[in-house]
Amino acid sequence: MPEQMIALVPTLPWLAALWIALNRVAGRNRDVFGERATFLPTLGASVAALLILVVLDVAALRNGVPGQVRLGDWFASGNYVVGIGFAVDGLSLSLGTLTAFLSLLVVVFSVNYMHREKGFQRYFFAINLFAGAMSLIMLAGNAVLTFVGWELAGVSSYMLIGYALDRPAATANANRAFITNRIGDAGFVLSIFFAYTWIGDVEWGRINGHAGDAGTLSVLMIGAGFVIAALAKSAQVPFSPWIARALDGPTPSSAIFYGVLMVHAGVYLLLRMEPLLLEAPGIMVALVVLGLLTAFYGWVCGLVQSDVKSSLMFATTAQVGLMFVWCGLGWFQLAAWHLGLHACWRAYLFLHAPSLMFMVSRRAKAAPEWLTKSRWLYTAALQHFWIEPIGDALIAEPAIKLAQDTKVFEERVVTPLVALPSQTNAITSLHQWEGRRAGEGGAPQDEVGRGEGLAGKMVQGVASALHWFEDQMVLKGSGEGLLTSLRRVGAHLTRIEFLLSQPRYLLYLVLIVFVIVL
Amino acid sequence: MLYLTLLLLIPLVGAVTVSLIPGARKQLIRWVAILHAVVALAFAAGLLSLFDTSVAGLQLVEHFEWNPRLGTYYALAIDGFSYPMVLLAALLFLIAIVVSESIRENVKGYYLLMLVLETATIGVFLAQDWVLFYLFWEMTLIPLFFLISRWGGANRHGASINFVLYTMGGSAFILISLLVLYDTLPGKTFEMATMAAGAKTLDEHRQLLIFLGLLIGFGVKIPIFPLHGWLPLAHVEAPSPVSILLSGILLKMGAYGLIRAAAMLPAAVIELQPVLTALALIGLIYGGLLAWRQRDLKCMIAYSSVSHMGVVVLGIATLNVTALTGAVMQMVAHGLVAAILFLLIGLLYERTHTRNVDEYSSLIRVTPRLAFFTILAFVAMIGLPGTASFIAELHTLIGSYERWGWVAAILAIGILISAAYAVRTIGYLFTGPVRPSTRDIDDLRPHELLAASVLAAGIVLVGVYPAPALALMAASVDQFSTIFAGRF
Repeated sequence: MPEQMIALVPTLPWLAALWIALNRVAGRNRDVFGERATFLPTLGASVAALLILVVLDVAALRNGVPGQVRLGDWFASGNYVVGIGFAVDGLSLSLGTLTAFLSLLVVVFSVNYMHREKGFQRYFFAINLFAGAMSLIMLAGNAVLTFVGWELAGVSSYMLIGYALDRPAATANANRAFITNRIGDAGFVLSIFFAYTWIGDVEWGRINGHAGDAGTLSVLMIGAGFVIAALAKSAQVPFSPWIARALDGPTPSSAIFYGVLMVHAGVYLLLRMEPLLLEAPGIMVALVVLGLLTAFYGWVCGLVQSDVKSSLMFATTAQVGLMFVWCGLGWFQLAAWHLGLHACWRAYLFLHAPSLMFMVSRRAKAAPEWLTKSRWLYTAALQHFWIEPIGDALIAEPAIKLAQDTKVFEERVVTPLVALPSQTNAITSLHQWEGRRAGEGGAPQDEVGRGEGLAGKMVQGVASALHWFEDQMVLKGSGEGLLTSLRRVGAHLTRIEFLLSQPRYLLYLVLIVFVIVL
Repeated sequence: MLYLTLLLLIPLVGAVTVSLIPGARKQLIRWVAILHAVVALAFAAGLLSLFDTSVAGLQLVEHFEWNPRLGTYYALAIDGFSYPMVLLAALLFLIAIVVSESIRENVKGYYLLMLVLETATIGVFLAQDWVLFYLFWEMTLIPLFFLISRWGGANRHGASINFVLYTMGGSAFILISLLVLYDTLPGKTFEMATMAAGAKTLDEHRQLLIFLGLLIGFGVKIPIFPLHGWLPLAHVEAPSPVSILLSGILLKMGAYGLIRAAAMLPAAVIELQPVLTALALIGLIYGGLLAWRQRDLKCMIAYSSVSHMGVVVLGIATLNVTALTGAVMQMVAHGLVAAILFLLIGLLYERTHTRNVDEYSSLIRVTPRLAFFTILAFVAMIGLPGTASFIAELHTLIGSYERWGWVAAILAIGILISAAYAVRTIGYLFTGPVRPSTRDIDDLRPHELLAASVLAAGIVLVGVYPAPALALMAASVDQFSTIFAGRF
């Protein structure tokens, strides 16, 4: 069953990642000695994945593409079914093979490049995770499965930007990149939801096939969400700045993520949605505009960069912007070719970047004269057009203010009403206890039966009322009261007995009886 | 074979043997008592092989004429209600006797009374004749009175007199009701089955009056709010082993009596169903809130008993299979939980001579074994899944929801309150700094550890695998609820 083997393409790198993680936990591939045990499975998985794809390619060239390969259901609830399916067509096979090939190259490069690095195992774990995720993005047959790959790619990118755990800047940049990407993810999830609601399916084939009869607004909404996801992943304006921060990772990871593969994931998504996009002219226009803006942004910012990696990064951004423009103009075929060629070319450039200094003797070209003359544009380019501060002012700061307000609300209103469990401010040290007993904050005697918060105070009130009732009525009233009254009755009876024992009272009694009887 | 008579005789023989041993030989007395309690438990457990869980009616019946002119019989038998209680009683008496090491003065009298109390308690659950039942019922009072008033705490005299007055007052109502019933029925017999058959034919009004008398009598023992005045005092003042018994098994006598009375006078129970339910729910919340306010640990557990016996009453008052299963299960579960709590708190008191919760701290570092079992016990008291109480509370909750709808939420509130004081107490006892005053407390000794683990194992076993325990009571519970099926 050669078509079903396609499931192995994303799975094999993940198995390699799992193997590395398990060995790491078991302590069997630590340090330099564990490097072989780490990169051999990775290489094996990459080669195997590539071979499988090549076999499938050959089969497809001979017999034509099989289209959809469905292996079963992942989960189903009512009418909603998410299958485990793969799209095996020209687009996915060609780009998937390219992905596997470039991943393999980067893995081979990394084996030496990462030698004797402290996080060797961690690096290869993330690279495997990413290789699987990227293959899944390329091959997945439905939007939910694509999203799985999409997210895993984001996570592994986060792990590798923050690869240098001891550098706060790297960690901060990793956060920044990940959070910016989440905006796109929100768009992706929304589109999945819209597709379920309006089309009733998430298979790429169905989404595209039914785009025509779903109504303009629905198509616009579904398309817009996916396009936002694509813009964020491919670092297009206005999401561009995150990619400049993503360079903190090791060079091969920067190469594979931001030069070669992940940055193209957005373009691939657009290619995948071609029929849907053709139904939504508004989105196409937006793609052209944003693509041109990005291309301009990448070009101008790239001119003022002084280090290799940054220049490459901005060049990449500009190129991907152009791909968006092609998509917007409806030249999807061109965008696909551009994607493939650019990926290969950029891989070559990025992997050379570390040794560029040794190979090139002359100085880097300075920024062109027309740019240095225009002071305003030059500053803007240096500052990346202030996209990041603007984003912060528009989104991050209001969010932080809102969070502060919520915190104040929580502290002033919710906590007094609901109260924290009393154990949270319990005594933990002998010193505190002595202090409490000495009289600060009330004696510990009052703690029992004290409720906090509105409900707690109510319970406390009811409980003390009941306690009073118990004390007065039940215990003193009937228990002890019974004894007291018995004692009192007993005393009276004793007195009567005493009186009766006196002869004269007996005489009186007899007289009284006589009087009554008579 | 007169198995049940034999079971009654075992502790009694122990009591006689103890009385023959010179009082100075304290260890021998203790071991004789333990031996008889062990034999009684083994014998009671052995009856399991003779007990047929598929039979709803009475089993192992022993029936002898006692006083033909009054129509009284010496009749013993067990069924799905009484057999679990007999097992529980035999187990708790053994535990109580094993952990009675702290009793140092007048050891002979103490163990003698304990063994007599065991015979009387088991007798209550076995008796199938109301006069015999009443006899055993009253017979429990005398040893208890002496046990509390001689070996109890500082306020023991007041407590014991209070206890006896309350219970005797209740017994008087039971006696009057039984006499009225005897007088009304043509059969002129005190035999339970015959009386029950006759009583069902009475008109509702008369049934109601008779049932009210029984309710007051049994209600004192259970205890039902507001007849619980004796309970906090008696539980607090009694020596810990006696507290174990009071809370563990003697309260169950009241609930057991109520079940028997309800089966006898169905019309009255249906009439009083809302009242009983209301009393149960009030008791549940009332006991819980008062427990929450107690600083005295024993007092807290005593009030929590009021709250948890409310679950039993609720289960009985709901009159359907699920809730009644919950009630009987709760009798077992509360028996085990209250017993282990009084056991552990009693041991703690022996070591520190304070029951004030404020004065403890960080026991988990000082006495890890005690802490483990106490936390387990408190967690079981809340009714966490995996403990016997959970099975009981869940059955009762489902059953009462079927009958009463959202009123059953009050039960959930009661459980919530018990969580509040249980967790609070755990916090007080086991967290915080190590204080000088509680730094040198001994952990559990081997025999105490054994007693606690047996109870804990029971709680967890019934909680995790309740099927056998449920099977034990299922047939009788089904038969009981068919009396009421479709009548409300």
